[in-house]
Amino acid sequence: METDSPSVVVIDDSPSIKTLFEAGLRDSNLELKVFNSAENSLDYLKQHKPGLLFLNIKMPGKDGLTFLKELRHLPLHKDTSVVMISSKDYAQDRSVAEKLGALDFITKPMPIQVITDVINKYLQPSSSN
Amino acid sequence: MSDAYLRFWGVRGSYSAPFESHLGVGGNTSCVEIRVDDHVLVCDAGTGIIPLGNQLMGQSDIRKLLIILTHYHWDHICGLPFFVPAFVPDWNINFFGPGQCDQEIKEHVSAQMQAPYFPVGTETWLANIDYLQPAEDQLINYGPLSFNYQNVHHPGTTYGYRVNVKGKTVIYVSDNECLYLGKSIDRQYEELNEEEKLLYDEMKKEEYAAELDLVRGADILIHDAQYTPEDYEKKRGWGHSCYIDTVNIAIEAGVKELYLYHHDPNYNDDAMEEIYQHSLSIIREKKSSLKCHIAKEGLIVSLD
Repeated sequence: METDSPSVVVIDDSPSIKTLFEAGLRDSNLELKVFNSAENSLDYLKQHKPGLLFLNIKMPGKDGLTFLKELRHLPLHKDTSVVMISSKDYAQDRSVAEKLGALDFITKPMPIQVITDVINKYLQPSSSN
Repeated sequence: MSDAYLRFWGVRGSYSAPFESHLGVGGNTSCVEIRVDDHVLVCDAGTGIIPLGNQLMGQSDIRKLLIILTHYHWDHICGLPFFVPAFVPDWNINFFGPGQCDQEIKEHVSAQMQAPYFPVGTETWLANIDYLQPAEDQLINYGPLSFNYQNVHHPGTTYGYRVNVKGKTVIYVSDNECLYLGKSIDRQYEELNEEEKLLYDEMKKEEYAAELDLVRGADILIHDAQYTPEDYEKKRGWGHSCYIDTVNIAIEAGVKELYLYHHDPNYNDDAMEEIYQHSLSIIREKKSSLKCHIAKEGLIVSLD
């Protein structure tokens, strides 16, 4: 089990989001992994603790908030750094995410620079490759 | 009355509207009954479930039902404290709604019936109450009915339901702010650079395709159409659709029959008639075969 991987993991059903994050990470050497659903990410997340997890909310299958609640029950992810990325710019979603320990909540559409800034803000330099 | 039908018991969103000027459309909040013989599926438990419960009490052949909740905002659950079958011992009532597990669904359903907000709790329900576990494949069977659920665009975790009944597909999406991302992109488009514009153009297409997929294949679509364009501008980000978007999505997705639903409580019967006539004009202009209706309290639609 890897518990100190410096990777950035994104869970989002939008194919374009992968390109967006690749652009946001183009000047870094961080590893990027993208999953198109919460369910498809679970096997990986049972074994890996990413440096930063970006999690969409409204997706096919399990929604991001329900999934985050489940993740928090796994000892490995009790304190995993999570940032929500969603078009759902609703106070209720922000509140639930905050209670589940999400560090930040960024709303689509966000400029590529916002992704870079958030990664720099929450990923400690010591944890990057 | 046919063996299979759906009936609108509550068609309002937000709060009930028991005003004389509104009663042609109806004043109760969200509740739709889908019935196949003695199987009763109830979509949402707004104040409309109160008269449904009273009617069920008079039908000696029915003692079980399944209530599926889109989410737990008050206008979708506030009829439950007054739903008489729940307080009667020989009834069997199942619940399903958003939640990680059956226990969480139970907590959400029970939360509104607590002091000081209500004098008795759900422990006073004498019916056999069960809360269904979320299914791995998101498909749940209930006698001759089956349904699956998808996340929709509304505050908190909110489901839309696709119900299969006697070879027909009934899609129930009471609360959904459709095309929200696309509109957000449009508003910020000039602030994006060329690379971002290309990416977000793609993302708009993805969102549009997802909205169509949500309702595609519907013989009957019951969908949020809460606002006029003017009110939508004021209430953008409240989690509800402008009726024009709902009609256009239904046309593009090839829906056969659309029931505009979750009406704003501020709209009287005259305002609803204007929405209806404008919806029909959109359908005519697009030369669509879509049949469009205003969901009205008491309206029964055959599913045979």
